Amino acid sequence: MSLTETAQQARRRDYRIPLAAVLVVVALAAPFIGSRYVTHSLIIALIFMLPAHGLNLLVGYTGLLSLAQAAFFGIGAYTAGLLAVTYGTSFYVNLIASGLVTGAIALPLGIPALRLRSTSFVMCTLGFVIIGQAISKNWISLTRGDMGLSGIPKPYFELGPLSFTLSGTTNFYYLALIIGAMATLAAWAIVRSPAGRNMVAIRENEILAESLGVPTWHYKLIVFMISAVFAGVGGCLYAYYLSVVSPLTFQMYYSTTMLIIVLGGGAGMISGTVFGSLLFVGLTEALRITPELRMIAYGLCLLILVFWFKNGFAPLINRFWNAIGGAR
Amino acid sequence: MTGHLPILEIKNLSKSYGAVKAVNDVSIHVDRGEITGLIGPNGSGKSTFFDCSTGLARPDTGKIVLDGQDITGWSLNRIAREGRMLRSFQKTVTFKALDVEENLVIAGQMFTFPSIATTFGLGKMSRQRIQGLRERARDLIKMAGLWDVRHQPAGNLSGGQQKLIQFASMLMPEPKLILLDEPMAGINPKIIERVVDTILYANKSLGVSFLVIEHNIDVVTSICQRVIVLDQGAKLVEGLPQDIIQDRRVREAYLGG
Repeated sequence: MSLTETAQQARRRDYRIPLAAVLVVVALAAPFIGSRYVTHSLIIALIFMLPAHGLNLLVGYTGLLSLAQAAFFGIGAYTAGLLAVTYGTSFYVNLIASGLVTGAIALPLGIPALRLRSTSFVMCTLGFVIIGQAISKNWISLTRGDMGLSGIPKPYFELGPLSFTLSGTTNFYYLALIIGAMATLAAWAIVRSPAGRNMVAIRENEILAESLGVPTWHYKLIVFMISAVFAGVGGCLYAYYLSVVSPLTFQMYYSTTMLIIVLGGGAGMISGTVFGSLLFVGLTEALRITPELRMIAYGLCLLILVFWFKNGFAPLINRFWNAIGGAR
Repeated sequence: MTGHLPILEIKNLSKSYGAVKAVNDVSIHVDRGEITGLIGPNGSGKSTFFDCSTGLARPDTGKIVLDGQDITGWSLNRIAREGRMLRSFQKTVTFKALDVEENLVIAGQMFTFPSIATTFGLGKMSRQRIQGLRERARDLIKMAGLWDVRHQPAGNLSGGQQKLIQFASMLMPEPKLILLDEPMAGINPKIIERVVDTILYANKSLGVSFLVIEHNIDVVTSICQRVIVLDQGAKLVEGLPQDIIQDRRVREAYLGG
């Protein structure tokens, strides 16, 4: 049997490496291929990919449905905005700070929330978004309330004697691309690690995992914090890109968008989240050209998804990927 | 030396649900290397007793000593990880979406990695540990007769095969003691033989002690050295299997007389 298999594989060509190379080239050349608007759409997609990766670790791998991502996205955005406006610190300092602050805030939120079961947990995480918005609106001395923080400078880098400011949409695209690639790699490393296997075990059967010595509570809390770090870093990028942070960053709509990215792309698959953010965020951004039809088209996409692709698009991508790899 | 101490000693365990005393002041022990049976009619409190002993439920009173160490109040995962006392569930459970080999690797992970932090590693050390687990998993898969289906999702296999997966999973961490909750329930006679063989192999060759809840009286008499009978939440009698099945009180409890 193995003989025929190798014979078949030899006959078919492996197109995966050429295709991957083409995708990398397209990603690198995108600002020069498409219009400025396409570049803008891609930046938004890359920014939303970060909280979506975090959410995928939580929903897709650990089996915890959370709507808190927009809250952490907002916290990250405000952290970066406040640091940049008040202290004028370097971009990468603010980026790391956003991730750390958000992760740290996720700890006291996660401890009570994760004690709740299924629906109660979802409602609780929804509460975080609403509370986040209320605080950002009302803690005026810190957040300037509804006016928001404006005038966030362009990403400014300072490395010893060297310093430069990154300006222009194209440059920002490359910044988002690098951070997006790093986040994808980080998410991939987490799910490939033995901890990733424990996360899947918790998703599949929590009591069984527990009975085999897996400290499920600790894992859930750690993954909740990691997912917040991803969202916080995304929020930082968002603040820099828009140069404004307002209470509107804490939006339920963002949480649902992130959820659609994960579930639509294919929960429990890293490639699904990458594809999902390009499709759903890129699509909504691209559809802004026809404002009247935008939400209708978006809704139609969701209907198609629900009816024909119950597990998202990732299984389809996987089959395609294996097919061009020469496997049957 | 702890050699002569029982591997598991449970003293005065009680658990009530509202007004119902599910388990009422039960004390038992399991000797080192012994297979002990726990029988009793339905609703006699066997499963509650198991849940309270393994940290899944919290007993109202009682003390649990595992291998000389007081483990009262420990969580399910800690009892498994640090105490190496593992349990099965009445309803067969496996990680259904994962293949047989992955099921077993998961079962061994927390016993191979020294801390939660190290499980996030992807380095050489981490890969070697996983490789070691894979090899052990394959040996156990062979022993359980699941070699041909090792790459199939556990959920695709029969109830009996899933029972064997569950059993093999519990052997991954080199346990001291295994608590089995009705291992023979709902599986065909062919697999029963295989499960019996596996239990005896684990007991004789790996030195694992067992506490087994089982309704199949033939199995109980053939594998257990000692049998404890529960009735209405309390210990009725304990003794040698052949004496137990002759015991008038046991017969009355089962017949409801």
